[in-house]
Amino acid sequence: MSILELTNIETYYGPVMAIRGVSMSVREGEISVLLGANGAGKTTVLKTISGAMEPQKGKILFRGKEIQGIDPDKTARLGIAHVPEGREVFPFLSVQENLAIGAYTRNDNEVDDDIDLVYDYFPILAEKRKQQAAFLSGGQQQMLAIGRALMLRPALMLLDEPSLGLSPRLVGEIAEIIVRVNKEQNVTIFLVEQNAKMALDIGHYGYVMEVGRIVMEDSCKKLSQAADIQEFYLGVKDEGIRGRRRWKQRKTWR
Amino acid sequence: MTATHTVDLRVDPPMVAIDGFSSIPALFWHRVNANPERLVIREKDYGIWNEYTWADYGRNAKYAGLGLMALGLKPGDVCSIAAEVCKEWLFADLGVVCAGGITNGIYPTDVSNQVAYLVNDSGTRFYFAEDEEQLDKILDVRANTPSLEKIIIFDMEGLRNFEDDMCISFEALLDLGIAHEATHPGAWTTSINAADAEDLLTLTYTSGTTGPPKGAMISHRNMLYMMITLQRVCGIFDSDEQVAFLPLAHVAGRMFYTFATIEANSVINLVEDVETVIQDQQEISPSIHFAVPRVWEKQYSTILIKLKEGTAFGRWAYQLAIRIGSAAAVYRKAAAPVPLGLRAVAFAADQLVLKNIRRLLGIDEARWLSTAAAPIAPELIDWYWSLGKPMYEVYGQTECTGIITANEPGNLKIGSVGKAAPDAEVVLSDDGEVLLKSPGVIRGYWKQTKKTAETFKQGWLYTGDVGRIDEDGFLYVIDRIKDIIITAGGKNITPSEIENQLKFSPFISDAVVIGDKRPYLTCLVMIDQENVTKYAQDKDVPFTNYTSLCHTEAVQALIWDEVEKVNQKFARVETIKKCRLIDQLLDPEDEELTPTMKLKRKVVNQKYAGMIDEMY
Repeated sequence: MSILELTNIETYYGPVMAIRGVSMSVREGEISVLLGANGAGKTTVLKTISGAMEPQKGKILFRGKEIQGIDPDKTARLGIAHVPEGREVFPFLSVQENLAIGAYTRNDNEVDDDIDLVYDYFPILAEKRKQQAAFLSGGQQQMLAIGRALMLRPALMLLDEPSLGLSPRLVGEIAEIIVRVNKEQNVTIFLVEQNAKMALDIGHYGYVMEVGRIVMEDSCKKLSQAADIQEFYLGVKDEGIRGRRRWKQRKTWR
Repeated sequence: MTATHTVDLRVDPPMVAIDGFSSIPALFWHRVNANPERLVIREKDYGIWNEYTWADYGRNAKYAGLGLMALGLKPGDVCSIAAEVCKEWLFADLGVVCAGGITNGIYPTDVSNQVAYLVNDSGTRFYFAEDEEQLDKILDVRANTPSLEKIIIFDMEGLRNFEDDMCISFEALLDLGIAHEATHPGAWTTSINAADAEDLLTLTYTSGTTGPPKGAMISHRNMLYMMITLQRVCGIFDSDEQVAFLPLAHVAGRMFYTFATIEANSVINLVEDVETVIQDQQEISPSIHFAVPRVWEKQYSTILIKLKEGTAFGRWAYQLAIRIGSAAAVYRKAAAPVPLGLRAVAFAADQLVLKNIRRLLGIDEARWLSTAAAPIAPELIDWYWSLGKPMYEVYGQTECTGIITANEPGNLKIGSVGKAAPDAEVVLSDDGEVLLKSPGVIRGYWKQTKKTAETFKQGWLYTGDVGRIDEDGFLYVIDRIKDIIITAGGKNITPSEIENQLKFSPFISDAVVIGDKRPYLTCLVMIDQENVTKYAQDKDVPFTNYTSLCHTEAVQALIWDEVEKVNQKFARVETIKKCRLIDQLLDPEDEELTPTMKLKRKVVNQKYAGMIDEMY
């Protein structure tokens, strides 16, 4: 069953249509991925879902309820946690304070337990709990951002390029955490990535976006075998007769 | 400056000459020497229009030709060129021809095994490859192309460290030519003087709907006659500018771009890339313009869609202006003066509305528009007339080197393909097949005696088209004989007429009507991706990719509506009862499409047999 359903979303930046009629769905309990090059509109899709941007047209259904155009604060209360691109942790607050802020919508008394849970996932954060977030490394900040989102006890987590600027080893670690969070905490993940290999490795179902439109969708397993994905996103090139070829096939998206 | 033409049919073979020259090399070299400083080629490169004079053209062709001689080219050897429209195509072409060789154009969209077939069938010794991509295709198959000796590469980008005994750059070829001239002074002039009117100029492969492609053997005489014909029926001035964007491997590209330019001393502008055609055309605004129906259809649907997006006032103004334009066109078609009152209104409509549309399409400066190479809906020709631009439909085949009938100013019937060109004859056989005779009719197919004997009989070219000639001598081409559908009910139906009407819809890119030996007609439709996507988006129809777009009910209903509209124009037996959409995005590299993005009837019938059977 799909937890999130987008129907014909159009989102503008001023006069520029960034999302040109996007329809997709995210199935509950799965990791769905959205691939695309710079400027394809991936981040805008996430912002439109979380309410940071308002779509001009179209519907977004979250658990069967229309949520398009409502405030980010409300979508958060509904259980959608948005981990923005570039982490966006609060730099002058400590790690612990950052995590506490993640729970601002909650008034139960299990917040402290959840902070401990985050520390279980990211032991390095426990070591630095008193430190200002600004002094964390990029990878640690990413962990903190994910941890902060977990504090919401979300049903759906929107992850915007968590691998951005991280070393390959850290990318691997983050990927592992995403899979664990998905399984252990039963959080549905909607992952936007440029690192197609990582995303397709951990994802269940995937969409490919180009200039504001979806051009391809399939299971991640099938996507990673599609010729166009291999050539344009995974950098796989058949060694031609002459060795490495530089020119690219025309995209057909099939 | 106007060239003098000689066509003498009393001698056998007929005598054809331009400015007294009866071979392409002699005429070309005469043009180079007569006005070396004059501009002839413009080519857009990284957004800049670079200019080349006749002297540049001559020098490049000369050293390319001498370079090939240095590599061992003998008169009658075949050289293939696989490239998009670019200046090197022209340089290499004329170099080969002046050196006594035969040029064979290969579509840059052809895949490796097609390339291998063409190289082997033509016996190509020298192969020109545009760039890395084209090079890889020939390298893939060179183990199986025994005749191939040398590959010459136009654009060495990305190949700096590439070394191979069989490959050299175009620059290196020119250097070989320069060196060859030093050791063989006079070789070039000797070669030009040796060219004979009956020598072969080019092989032009025609898509084989039955069997593999056949190489049409076009001689110097054939092409000289075609250059004269183009001048006589179309009129090309030395001040004219053309934009070249159609593939030069096609006979229309060669005659309009390469050879008409040589005849008329005009200027040819080579577009930067397939994707920049619209912008390049707006920049150049050509004074004469030839294109194939698909291009005209696309332009028309672009405007229609833009109107739908526009304001209600804009649409109203367009409707009004096009009605006025259409009224004025009645007089213009007959080359009669437009009555004063109408003329004033038409002027206003033109300045306020129509001119802007023409500018957008890059045809505002055009004296005439010309269409051929595929059937076109008469309504579309009328639309261009209403826009204020005369469009003339012409007709011909590769086997007659291009044009044989033409509509001309003051002498046209829209829907017909015009009357026989001067010195050409068009008749119908007893069963209605169009037969042609002219000095442009070729000798036959390369190494295909059987096919040649079937197509060329007693000097007549059997076109394979069914036609009708009216009392004024205008030819109407009905369809390909083998495409005519005979339904199970015994009714003869010409699919192309229905298909043309379908393609007229902005949402339909191409269609194939089916119904041979079937109880009723059906069709397969290839949607216009851009316009249908836009439609779906506007109507809030959810879809993700091309396939899901085709499968949405809304799109199927949209296309069915368009089919129904067309159905109303035809008799009951000729109406389409069911249709299906081709749900894969096709590319010219797919076998279903020709290089000009038309569906191939036979391939479509085979490939989508399952889908077709579902409809019955």
